[in-house]
Amino acid sequence: MSATATMSPADILAAVTAFLFEEAALLDQRRWFDWLELFTPDGMYWAPLRPDQPDPINHVSLFYEDAMMREVRARRLEEKRAWSQQPQVHAARIVGNIRLGTATVPGETVVHSTFLMAESRLSLPQRLLSGFYTHRLLPRGDGFAIVEKRIDLIDSEEVHATLEAFL
Amino acid sequence: MTRQLPAIDTLVEPDRVHKSVYVDPGLFELEMDRIFGRAWIYVGHESQIPNVGDYHQALIGREAVVMVRGDDGKPHVLFNRCPHKGAKLLAQPCGNAGRFLRCPFHGWNFRCDGRLLSVPAREGYEDTRFDLRDPAFSVRRVPRQQSYRGFVFASLAEDGPSLEEFLGGIRLTLDNFCDRAPEGEVEVAGGVFRVWQRSNWKIFFENLNDTSHPMVTHESAVNAARAEYQHRGDGGQMPFQLHIIEGNGEPYDFWGALEMVAYDRGHSYMGAIFTPPTDPVSLGHQAALEAVHGPEKAHEILSVQRHNSIIYPSCAPHTSFQQLRVIRPIAVDRTLVEIYTFRLKGAPEDYFQRSITYANIVNSPSSNVMPDDIEVYARVQEGLATDGGDWVSLHREAGREQGDGNGRYTGGGLSELPMRNQFRAWAEYMGEEA
Ligand code: FES
Ligand SMILES: [Fe+2]
Repeated sequence: MSATATMSPADILAAVTAFLFEEAALLDQRRWFDWLELFTPDGMYWAPLRPDQPDPINHVSLFYEDAMMREVRARRLEEKRAWSQQPQVHAARIVGNIRLGTATVPGETVVHSTFLMAESRLSLPQRLLSGFYTHRLLPRGDGFAIVEKRIDLIDSEEVHATLEAFL
Repeated sequence: MTRQLPAIDTLVEPDRVHKSVYVDPGLFELEMDRIFGRAWIYVGHESQIPNVGDYHQALIGREAVVMVRGDDGKPHVLFNRCPHKGAKLLAQPCGNAGRFLRCPFHGWNFRCDGRLLSVPAREGYEDTRFDLRDPAFSVRRVPRQQSYRGFVFASLAEDGPSLEEFLGGIRLTLDNFCDRAPEGEVEVAGGVFRVWQRSNWKIFFENLNDTSHPMVTHESAVNAARAEYQHRGDGGQMPFQLHIIEGNGEPYDFWGALEMVAYDRGHSYMGAIFTPPTDPVSLGHQAALEAVHGPEKAHEILSVQRHNSIIYPSCAPHTSFQQLRVIRPIAVDRTLVEIYTFRLKGAPEDYFQRSITYANIVNSPSSNVMPDDIEVYARVQEGLATDGGDWVSLHREAGREQGDGNGRYTGGGLSELPMRNQFRAWAEYMGEEA
């Protein structure tokens, strides 16, 4: 039996809210390797190109990464000669409108949220990225592990400058 | 405001070009007239508009055009402008306009081939010079359009070489692109990536055949992929995703063993020796080709190895991963690149799915490989704007290329032949007055 089964909805909401805030802080602090730990071994990180995209296999995605590819990204961002990280990109995000969704897999908790994130690099104009997070979570220890983090950017289909760091 | 432009013939020398070709906004405007106003420019693929009323927007230089499927079943390339007061007719990158195009301003209706169909309250035009049948009141068509195996090109010039003549030897790349499909046809599928570059369009074209940059520019991605492979530690075959990234770290000898082939009008490709595939996905594709053509013909098709062909000045097909990059100059220091993936009709699904994986790894705005490309292009753009020097060097293996006397030139895999070849075409287009 999962830990969430015995919790009230209000307690679950409080717990996932704390988890999402903690996750956002790890990303804003560029603590990539701590953030990677949040996922289950099979966990996926997916940002579809289209909101109505049926799958990540037959259609390109802005991000579609398993543990291996997430680790490659984290490593590259910290490489000495990652030219596009000279200087590094920095981000600050706010996560809000956190709501519990309907899980289709028993034991999972689904959380919907909205994020606004500013990104800055060089003296280029700051970029505003925004959209919706959908987290599928499993209880782990005192908190949760991410089975899937899905990001739907509101401008996913528009022309983009490079997206280097995790959203 | 008029400003003196530098004389074209002083800007391009056989082994170097003047920095102003990348940074001078006046030259950019002249390029729009003399290059993009003359050359055959890729518009889109017919498979993007399968049904009547389907449309796809494109740019030909500074001209916004739209490719629409007419009720005659043919694609029509039209200026995206209403002949009444000029409103843009279509705003979405692609979609279906219905059975006719309806202007959102005063409701003039046009057939999908651009001909004016009706105007509301027509009595108001009686006894005026307005004439429903006068082409001046229809959506203007581009002066010339032509398809080659489903790839639609258009030219803003009334006269000039035919599309086939324009393509010359690079035409075989488009043939091979399609011949790799067991059914001999390809279709756009799986979505399009669209990416901004903060740099001049020519910098990207040069990079497409620049074999001396990957090991330097992509060091971070190569190191990360190698470290990840070590970390996974099973010593087995490197997973496809890592392999694609790690391939950028090949040493100079590897790239030097390729062959650079260039043609008149700025086209070129990087050629490789065919090594028969051993992985199941490629073998499945090969088997599907053999089932249709027999082993000999299938081998002949697969042994055409043209990486990053350049169809100057608008697109770059990559035959082995079924993709086409489309390059749209937006401003002297801003370029839009679109990356389309194609499905080979009759090939196994996992072959298409692998090209999707390839695009995700290499062409997504989130690629681990591309940001360092885009960064160095932007640094070139910024560096060239300084007073630190007037010339850009294209000296690598200069003068060593072999011409066949018939518009085909070959050089070593590390040669800057493709760049010199692009600028030879550039100077020809630009030097010719209207
Ligand atoms: S501008 Fe198109 S109908 Fe008036
Ligand atoms: Fe590159």
